Amino acid sequence: MLHPTPTVRLALIGNPNTGKTTLFNACTGMRQRSANYPGVTVEIHSGRLQKGPQSRHIELLDLPGSYTLSARSADEAFVLEAMLSIRPELRLDGVICVVDASNLARNLFLVSQVLDLHIPTVVALTMVDVAKCSGAAVNASALSRELGVPVIEVNPRTGLGLDQLATAMLELPTQSTDSHAAPAPPLQLGLQAQRLASMFVQFEGRPAMQRAAAVHSILNPDTAMERLLLDGLDESVRTAVVLSRSCLTDADLSISSMEAAYRYAWIDRIVARVLARTPKQRKSRSEAVDRLLTHPILGLIPLTVLMAVCFQAVFSWSAPFMDVIDGSIAGLGNFLGRFLPQGALRSLAVDGAVAGVGAVLVFLPQIIVLFFFIAVIEDCGYLARAVVLLDRWMERIGLSGRAFLPLLSSFACAVPGILSTRVMETRRDRLVTMLIAPLMSCSARLPVYVLFISAFVPDRRILGGLFSLQGATLWAMYSIGAVVAIPVAWLLKRTMLRGESPSLLLELPTYKWPSLRTILVRVYLQGREFITSAGTVIFAVTVLIWALGYYPRPASVGVEFDRQRSALPALSHASTPVEIQLRDAQIAAISAHESGAYLRQSFLGRFGGWVEPLVKPLGWDWRIGTAVIASFPAREVVIATMGTIYNLGAETDATSDSLRSALQAASWPDGKKIFTLPVALSVMVFFALCCQCGATLAAIYRESGSWIWPALTFTYMTTLAYVAAWATYETGLWLLGGA
Amino acid sequence: MLTTMKTGESNTIGLVVGECAAAKRLSDMGFVRGARLTMIRPGAPCIVRVDGSLLALGGAYQNRIRFEHPVV
Repeated sequence: MLHPTPTVRLALIGNPNTGKTTLFNACTGMRQRSANYPGVTVEIHSGRLQKGPQSRHIELLDLPGSYTLSARSADEAFVLEAMLSIRPELRLDGVICVVDASNLARNLFLVSQVLDLHIPTVVALTMVDVAKCSGAAVNASALSRELGVPVIEVNPRTGLGLDQLATAMLELPTQSTDSHAAPAPPLQLGLQAQRLASMFVQFEGRPAMQRAAAVHSILNPDTAMERLLLDGLDESVRTAVVLSRSCLTDADLSISSMEAAYRYAWIDRIVARVLARTPKQRKSRSEAVDRLLTHPILGLIPLTVLMAVCFQAVFSWSAPFMDVIDGSIAGLGNFLGRFLPQGALRSLAVDGAVAGVGAVLVFLPQIIVLFFFIAVIEDCGYLARAVVLLDRWMERIGLSGRAFLPLLSSFACAVPGILSTRVMETRRDRLVTMLIAPLMSCSARLPVYVLFISAFVPDRRILGGLFSLQGATLWAMYSIGAVVAIPVAWLLKRTMLRGESPSLLLELPTYKWPSLRTILVRVYLQGREFITSAGTVIFAVTVLIWALGYYPRPASVGVEFDRQRSALPALSHASTPVEIQLRDAQIAAISAHESGAYLRQSFLGRFGGWVEPLVKPLGWDWRIGTAVIASFPAREVVIATMGTIYNLGAETDATSDSLRSALQAASWPDGKKIFTLPVALSVMVFFALCCQCGATLAAIYRESGSWIWPALTFTYMTTLAYVAAWATYETGLWLLGGA
Repeated sequence: MLTTMKTGESNTIGLVVGECAAAKRLSDMGFVRGARLTMIRPGAPCIVRVDGSLLALGGAYQNRIRFEHPVV
């Protein structure tokens, strides 16, 4: 690459729903990545500007959408940090303020806060066509004169204005900030801020930022913003800030509405000069659609239908792709198996790496379909309505409607679900949502359900032939986690994470056709992230489990099976195909028993022996116990582990007939069948509720910054799973008499 | 009061009261003196239109908004 390090870093900032990310995608294309900065848990994308040769110098950051710099959520605190260049490694050379022309006044609020900071700024005016439709025409050059910064009309979908914007971006670092217009604070506040400004020593040499820091710290008591600004400063600064506040309240000024009052007064004057309104009082289609979609009761019908279609799609659309991936992985395993010499290396490559990572990659199509749906409902504007609809129900268990998206995502995979809690305002609510997200039945549990249901639940129609018993069981397994999550959240909100949930305050964007490009970029990035994690964390875990199940290999086991093999009658040239086939089958059977014997001798197998008394009350034998223990780092490995344990090769998947019949045939030493319906149900219930996922725990650790929360998640879910599995088994025995 | 407004009713915002951070967020988002508010769907959360944008407001925010000419 010609320019390995960008010399200029710019950031896109703007209200939510302004088309900011669409603009970012149009500027950077697919050449973007999740920007990781130490200690930053907020997901930000960064990319290189793709307009002309010089533009490669420019790194563009897509900051989370926010209405104001007065930060409350983790996302907003990051925006503030970036704008104040608090982290030296994240110093900005300029900002692009994305302004929705159809909502000019509210968007200019954030712009006025940015202009205060004297950072080189350009305004990108979006949704000009939408504004025109509602009878509002914005004069961009007049707005530019008023604000003292370039204002460029853009449409990321058609490409309008993008070249002009790129040129403006290139000129940004040399922009003089003297021309920036910004509203002056009211006299009293201005005096107080002037008195405090020099105390903000972290902004030494940047007087505009010192003044802004003084104003914001006075006006935002007990917020993330106040903590960020006063962080590391002397206690006397806090005292001075508190004193300034009381001076203002003594003068009968309202701390909370003062900033909005003086900024909106300034904005109103500008809007009056740049906005031409033609009276056009047409009821928008958006409003007509909303009459049904946001109806508190009737609105639940389209929401339920949409979720049903979404789940149906996740499971049926992705099936052919999953088969292809499954087939390729089996093919790759066979291929490697043929080329590598017999021994530890081959086993590591085929049974460990390929089978393990393959078991995870197989879920990629489901994750892509689910993210496609989420991206569509978010981009078209429906997601906000769903949040409003569900808020009144979530409120009863102490959560806000904002928890809807994280929980919905968790049905595909809890990891992206946990990451998406960043939009939530209070830490308590984020934690509750993170703690219950792994209870949602993720796609890694599906293979377990499929295997056990197809093997042990009778294929019968119930309720007059309307539903199949197998389908109903699958539905029950999916619901159990969500149902259990309700009392768990309720309990958490009343004990450890007690506190008022912030009430909902959410903009409902105008409905629009989703932009295919935005959706595809999102799906692509999320799919890429999933593959990366499968390639790293899950790979490491798989290799570890493989090693525990492979070593030590006592020679005595091999000797015994070699003896059995040599005892087989030798084949001659005269052997018939039937004889050859029979012999091959016998050798395969001996090898299968051999790998089973090795497994029982392995560290994992010995461990299984110790846990047997523990899992006996659940109706399990040591083999189920071992497979379940082995699947604690990643539950999807259970199928492969069971395949090995039940004397089969490692190439086993959920629908393989051989594993199914091996499970059906497995018996206790006294000859009784191990797997009865109660045992199968007990295993499924255990998987539905247990937290067998290292990646989830790691995500909770990363997001909460403490080991307490992943430890708590693991403990409560495992306990719950054990008790529920035991109860299921006992109830099953009582109802079915062990049959 | 916002909580007693019916669908389609409008009023002019006079004051946002109460706990600082929540009141500040409302003000920053355009709930300021003189802004015109129209009730689209009452309830908790309710949906209102303020200066061209639709917003959903949970119960705790609804009590914070006072009108210039309260209807009795």
